[in-house]
Amino acid sequence: MLIIKGGRVLTACRPGGPVSPVIDGGVILVEAGKIRAVGGPDLPVPPGCESMDATGCVVTPGLIDAHSHIGIYEDGVGWEGNDVNEGTDPNTADVRALDGINPADTAFAEALEGGVTTVQVMPGSANVIGGEVVTIKCIGSVVDDMVLRRPTGLKAALGENPKRAYGSQRKRPSTRMGNAAVMRAALSKGRDYLRKLEIAAEKPDKRPDIDLRMEMIAKVLRREIPLRVHAHRADDILTALRIADEFGINISLEHTTDGSKVAKLLAGRGIPCMTGPLGGPRTKLETRDKGPHVPGILAAAGVKIAIITDHPVIPQQWLRITAGLAVREGLPEDAALAACTRDAAEIIGVADRVGTLEPGKDADMVIWDGDPFEYLTKACRVFVDGRTAYCRRGEPCLPELGVTGGCGQC
Amino acid sequence: MLVAVKGATIYPVGGNPVDGGVLLVEGGKIKAVGAAQAIPVPAGAEVIDASGKVVLPGLVDAHAHVGLWGEWYGQAESDGNEMGDPVTPEVRAIDAVWPDHSSFADARSGGVTTLQTTPGSGNAIGGEMLVVKTDSAGKTAEEIVLRCPSGMKAALGENVKRAYGQGFKKRPATRMGTAAVIRQALSKARDYQRKLELGKEDPSRLPDTDLGLLSLVKVLNREMPLRIHAHRADDIVTAVRLAEEFGLDYSIEHCTDGAAVAGFLGSRGARVNVGPTFGGRSKIETRPLHFRNAGILAKAGCKVSVISDHPFVAIPFLSLCAALSCAEGMPEEEALRAVTLTPAETLGVADRVGSLEPGKDADFVVWSGHPFKIRSKVERVYVEGRLVYQA
Repeated sequence: MLIIKGGRVLTACRPGGPVSPVIDGGVILVEAGKIRAVGGPDLPVPPGCESMDATGCVVTPGLIDAHSHIGIYEDGVGWEGNDVNEGTDPNTADVRALDGINPADTAFAEALEGGVTTVQVMPGSANVIGGEVVTIKCIGSVVDDMVLRRPTGLKAALGENPKRAYGSQRKRPSTRMGNAAVMRAALSKGRDYLRKLEIAAEKPDKRPDIDLRMEMIAKVLRREIPLRVHAHRADDILTALRIADEFGINISLEHTTDGSKVAKLLAGRGIPCMTGPLGGPRTKLETRDKGPHVPGILAAAGVKIAIITDHPVIPQQWLRITAGLAVREGLPEDAALAACTRDAAEIIGVADRVGTLEPGKDADMVIWDGDPFEYLTKACRVFVDGRTAYCRRGEPCLPELGVTGGCGQC
Repeated sequence: MLVAVKGATIYPVGGNPVDGGVLLVEGGKIKAVGAAQAIPVPAGAEVIDASGKVVLPGLVDAHAHVGLWGEWYGQAESDGNEMGDPVTPEVRAIDAVWPDHSSFADARSGGVTTLQTTPGSGNAIGGEMLVVKTDSAGKTAEEIVLRCPSGMKAALGENVKRAYGQGFKKRPATRMGTAAVIRQALSKARDYQRKLELGKEDPSRLPDTDLGLLSLVKVLNREMPLRIHAHRADDIVTAVRLAEEFGLDYSIEHCTDGAAVAGFLGSRGARVNVGPTFGGRSKIETRPLHFRNAGILAKAGCKVSVISDHPFVAIPFLSLCAALSCAEGMPEEEALRAVTLTPAETLGVADRVGSLEPGKDADFVVWSGHPFKIRSKVERVYVEGRLVYQA
């Protein structure tokens, strides 16, 4: 058993629940990789536990990035490490991010350095239907062991990227109309496939041949997983809603650069938004109005948001910095923390495991030497499943995984 | 017209910060700066109350592509690389810079008042660059120039050999080829320089006008530096080798792997323009990218500027790059200098900008707090005493 005590604990829990959002001099009790208890300085703890003093530090849940390309768009490798878009067909529902993630990507070590412990890894946005999305922890050498949940969505995309990728090859889609038509055709075909499966439930000889793309789309139509739709411009956002309504599917909106223009509508519909990347260049016309002001506007309107890096667009470890920029532009601090912890977990669909510091959750935690949003703050120690995954002191942390953290400065 | 900015903590850069200081501005120039007791506010001066605020010089970005290409219009505004010939010293960034481009407004919103905007790194020799003020609204390029030309762009490493070797299927296709192309051009310019000298005595011997070689002669005469794009340590060393062979004034642009050769660069007091760092490692040569680089190079004795390379890091985040360099070991004072006075010196405009001292241009920024605190905002930006941005 492990006890962390003395720090200012930001649990990311909602106010009014059993665990307070902020506990000064808080005590966290960890057993077998899970959080067993969280409380104030008086929390009774069993004798003989390993105890870690976090006095003067801030403790938060491990940060969660709900939209990243870590591992499939490898850092510092160029073409050889870029496996993010299977850009050979506008519908590649049968491809899986899991099969493209390289756990040896150096960005994972930096993710931990920046306090990021869980990431939802997605295929890119060149295809209208891009492939299966997976959520993993940031430490390990076998990707299957890193998986927290799979699948956690099916990637889709509207707007400039698919029409550029295929229009330039003189293929469909070359317009926004074409993007929508490709998406509708895939869902429509999926509906037929689903109907045939239902018939086959009674008459097994009628079973259609297995179609891996349609199997994946069937999961979306059955609402087992959401379609996660890349949409920057307001009209692309509305196209996503239109198609979702037509097929009765769940969606999340990825990027939502123009989300502030339709914020009330999104809040009314309860559509979760992944906002970001914040703080990078505006690389395309559809990102013209991007900036760290967007999350604050969405949250104020009542939209549930996750702040995302879209790594490598913003490097994974700077999730906390982009959240800090959103705070500067008006997002309340508790909402900013939730957007990269609790709410991100809820939007991904992994809130039973991660996102807050409360009993029963995975012991994914970060001890910071100050305000996690500040430029000059650093993570002192990062835990994944109750084990030290990164330590600034530079001691070998999980040598069996080849992980040695830290700069040796603290 | 006399203006007094009162009450702020003033970081003049190159001097100690002053709490509750006074900055006196007259005719677009700084008249005085210092403690309130030392600088009485003259009667009749317009007083700007900046109590509780932080005042710094306008930031200086030594390497950006503002107004030249970029962000969202694509090909229509992409004027940074005159491709097709790896040696284009005759092209001039001033002929492409678009003062109305939104990136100038972005620069102002981030507190950047001076920047060098430069051709890209597609060519081994890319063309002339210039230093401008960012108060470009309604002005011509000539009206915002602070120094033109301010340098000649050159590039080593992956970009040139990719563009020519892979793209155009011609020289240079290797790092050797890129160095050879630059050496050939400078060597040719040296011959041209000699002929120009002969022509002074005997006009009949004057060579035909060659605009590119005329421009490279300015580099040989050290009228402007060669500013050499180099990420990998061996490219950095090649850059120094070339510059020293021809006795050039030079700066190293990007210097991503600089820490690996920090002693080599430091012993020369090299001018290094470090960045863009708040972004991904998109190429093999950017693999060593890390915010600790700037601090290591400064400690080794280099003259370090932190750059945005806008649009690769959007220019409003120049101060963020300095802050994260500070977080990774560059002393605070040094990191502030790396986006103000050091780039001004590297660009050859420190007589005008880069610090708050009497006689310099009144380019200053009122921040809500210290720029290395993430919640601090740029509230007001002044160029030559005129308000050019307000949050």
